[in-house]
Amino acid sequence: MGKQLFRYSEDNKAKFLESDNITFNDGSVVTPEEIWDYLTVEGPVKYPGTYEINLSQGNRDSRDETLPTSLKTHYLSLTFSARMEKAKKNGKTIAFIQGGQAVDPYTAADTIALRPFLVGQWYHGREHGNDIYKSVLRRKQSKETAFHDMSFEACQTGGYEHVQVGDLPIDVVAPYTVLRCSDVSYGVEAHRHGPNKDVKLINVDFPMRHQADKPWAIEYFARNLKKLVKTLDEARGKKTTEDDLWRAIRLHNEGRRLGTELADLWWSTDIPPTNSDDRNSLVALANLDMHGDVQASLSVLKEAKKIIAERVKNGVKGHAVTDNPKRLFILGSCVGINESRSEDAGAIVVGKDDQWSHCTSLVEEEGDPYYNLAKATLEYPYEQSIEKRAQWTIEQIRKSRADGVIFIHNWGCNTQAAVSRPIVDFIKRETGIPTYIHERDLHGLRDEQEQNRVNAFIEML
Amino acid sequence: MSIQTLEIIRKRLEERPEELRQARKNGHKVVGWTGYNVPEEIVHALGFIPVRIALGGDDRLVEVGARYASSKTCVFIREIVGAFSENKDPYIQQTDILAFDATCLQNYRAAEVIEYFFKKDVVVLAVPRNFAEDDAKTYFVHEANEFTRLLEERAGRLLDNATLGESVALYNDIRKTLKSIYTFQAARDNVISWEEVYDLIQAGDLLDKKEYLSLLQQTLAELTELQHNPVIEADCDSRIFISGSLIPRGDRKLISIINLAGGRIVGDDLWSGILPHLDLDIKEISPAGVALGYLNRTPHAALPYLDLESDRRLKKLHELLSQSRAHGVIYHTLRYCDPFTFKAKETKNVLAKSGIPLLEIHTEYAGSDYEAMKTRVEAFIEMIRIKSELVEEEAA
Ligand code: SF4
Ligand code: SF4
Repeated sequence: MGKQLFRYSEDNKAKFLESDNITFNDGSVVTPEEIWDYLTVEGPVKYPGTYEINLSQGNRDSRDETLPTSLKTHYLSLTFSARMEKAKKNGKTIAFIQGGQAVDPYTAADTIALRPFLVGQWYHGREHGNDIYKSVLRRKQSKETAFHDMSFEACQTGGYEHVQVGDLPIDVVAPYTVLRCSDVSYGVEAHRHGPNKDVKLINVDFPMRHQADKPWAIEYFARNLKKLVKTLDEARGKKTTEDDLWRAIRLHNEGRRLGTELADLWWSTDIPPTNSDDRNSLVALANLDMHGDVQASLSVLKEAKKIIAERVKNGVKGHAVTDNPKRLFILGSCVGINESRSEDAGAIVVGKDDQWSHCTSLVEEEGDPYYNLAKATLEYPYEQSIEKRAQWTIEQIRKSRADGVIFIHNWGCNTQAAVSRPIVDFIKRETGIPTYIHERDLHGLRDEQEQNRVNAFIEML
Repeated sequence: MSIQTLEIIRKRLEERPEELRQARKNGHKVVGWTGYNVPEEIVHALGFIPVRIALGGDDRLVEVGARYASSKTCVFIREIVGAFSENKDPYIQQTDILAFDATCLQNYRAAEVIEYFFKKDVVVLAVPRNFAEDDAKTYFVHEANEFTRLLEERAGRLLDNATLGESVALYNDIRKTLKSIYTFQAARDNVISWEEVYDLIQAGDLLDKKEYLSLLQQTLAELTELQHNPVIEADCDSRIFISGSLIPRGDRKLISIINLAGGRIVGDDLWSGILPHLDLDIKEISPAGVALGYLNRTPHAALPYLDLESDRRLKKLHELLSQSRAHGVIYHTLRYCDPFTFKAKETKNVLAKSGIPLLEIHTEYAGSDYEAMKTRVEAFIEMIRIKSELVEEEAA
């Protein structure tokens, strides 16, 4: 029996064609017409898996076709692999980084910064024609390689499977070793024994414990950032100036401000203007790193803000959102719940701390750019002590008017797992809001059991 | 042949909790510390009684700890958290202040969790990941000064250099004596076993330091009397070296399996064994000098190092293997101990180049894997035995 594939409806085409272009880093532009064409003709052939109507990957049926930016983020995801190959051919430097960190210094050094998820997206996007089953199998196979070379208890393998074994042309493995992620620095170290000897390695050392109040810690991290830029400069054979860094900081502050404004707009109304999936993918644009092209992210983000403002003004409810859904705030590792299935169960995700924490940390635009950047980074709410982090989370929960909190920790994510209980305990004590800790098992299977537990929590709410 | 001082030490350990209780009654404060880079001399010089928090082997406590620190934290930390929750361990009960470091992130998280749930007064020493770089050392010096300041506040007095110098001298003597004793266990016709020396090292985590030094010196005198010239050489025994995650007091599962399988342990590079006592060179009597001495030792596996060729941890492992004339390595990894599990395969490959086999044993404190471990260790020891017999035959 043939698989049921999602198709964008021609009914929405005319409106979509009136929407904005996407402008890329290299100044090139893609028009809505070209995007439509890709999504309806080329995309389904290259990536049939993402068009499958399948509960485990999020039901594509629920994609909001009337939200132009939703189509654009889909387009950016599908073209990601090809765009990275092209960027590489054009001599662009590409760095492996960590989720949950800003990318200002990489942008300043004209380097594309890819978090683990994106490195995987690039690698897997190289192969066309796969259905979901084959894609999942391929992902599992490459993860197995990394587990074998490191540890099956690893979540974060530092892209080892793609950079070393998969031969992805990453120039530098250079993440911040933020506390959020237990495994990242071990993942970086593992590259020292891989077959791809050319890849440069650097740990941008993020110190711990009340560091934001310590001038010497800020200076230390600032020096690490300078080393990072120097390493990126060596890789690309060009020098980054302070002006470059200021420009990057201003650009990223714009993204952070827009992202915060968009989230505030979304929270300002009782009627969710988009579904969880769309909210998530739009707010995630604020860091500008999501699609391997800061300008492309910025242009979609700008348009998204306009559209959300309009929807809020007109009381438009997001596609497939139920009436009076239970509002969930998600904490913890860089993974989430299955949003569309949770919506089916009567909930909506109104926020996450991961990806959001660093968007709320603006960098001062006067003084020493390295120092300012270091200071803002050490102030990420997500990286603070249990009480401080929980206090900040409570503010977000209140702003988003969440009814319940899920702390999710991924397989192998020890440092998030370790503080799940105290953080949830603090939030519960201070707010009385129901909370639930969700442990994700090996391979992060979004299976029935996992969803049943989430659904039970939603039902309880 | 039994070493009489070891008996005395065992007895003194039994008496120690009560002694601590009395000392606290008399106004002394006990600092429970854990972390590879905690500069214990500073704690000691401020007049605190340092006691190392290191216990393992109790699966029930691991379960209890998981309620606070999740089931995905390493078993060692879960047990510690569980022990704080129950507050029945005679040493944990006596701690007034805790001093943790962030060498291993899980150790750091334990500090946070214990502070939050059990309202303990915790001082944390941050440790840079890029430990080998000059910038990192400058940062660490600041951290060491801050760590000292926080302890001074709690001690109600400032650290003076003369006292710190005395503590450093005392600890240096302890380290020197331990090193000498350690040679005996690996010798042919050894008069003391590795297991006895291992217990002896761990006794130092708990006993009064001055008394401990004199007991060590007494032990060494006894050993020298029994064996004038310890010679370390490979023989037909299955000489096993233990590496990997720490094996604290209370956890003797793997060690007893190796013994039962007929293996003879002749060396280790465990954080709970001889390793932290080696190569500690304090160049300047100051908090910074002591802290840098710690940081410059063989690095802990939790601190990443990005160049395989110049990795001092692996170099040290090679050096110790050659000193102990070990035939093979049993590499112990505790459940969810990322620092060591991530490196298991790499270490195996590196050692293979020198012809040294490595067996990874991944375990936790439950007894359920006992038989499986035993089978694997037996097979490994058998393999080593056959291999060393062949080498002997060829040499003959
Ligand atoms: S799940 Fe945790 S350990 Fe894994 S990448 Fe995310 S933050 Fe890091
Ligand atoms: S080194 Fe391993 S056993 Fe020790 S605290 Fe860290 S994770 Fe736990």
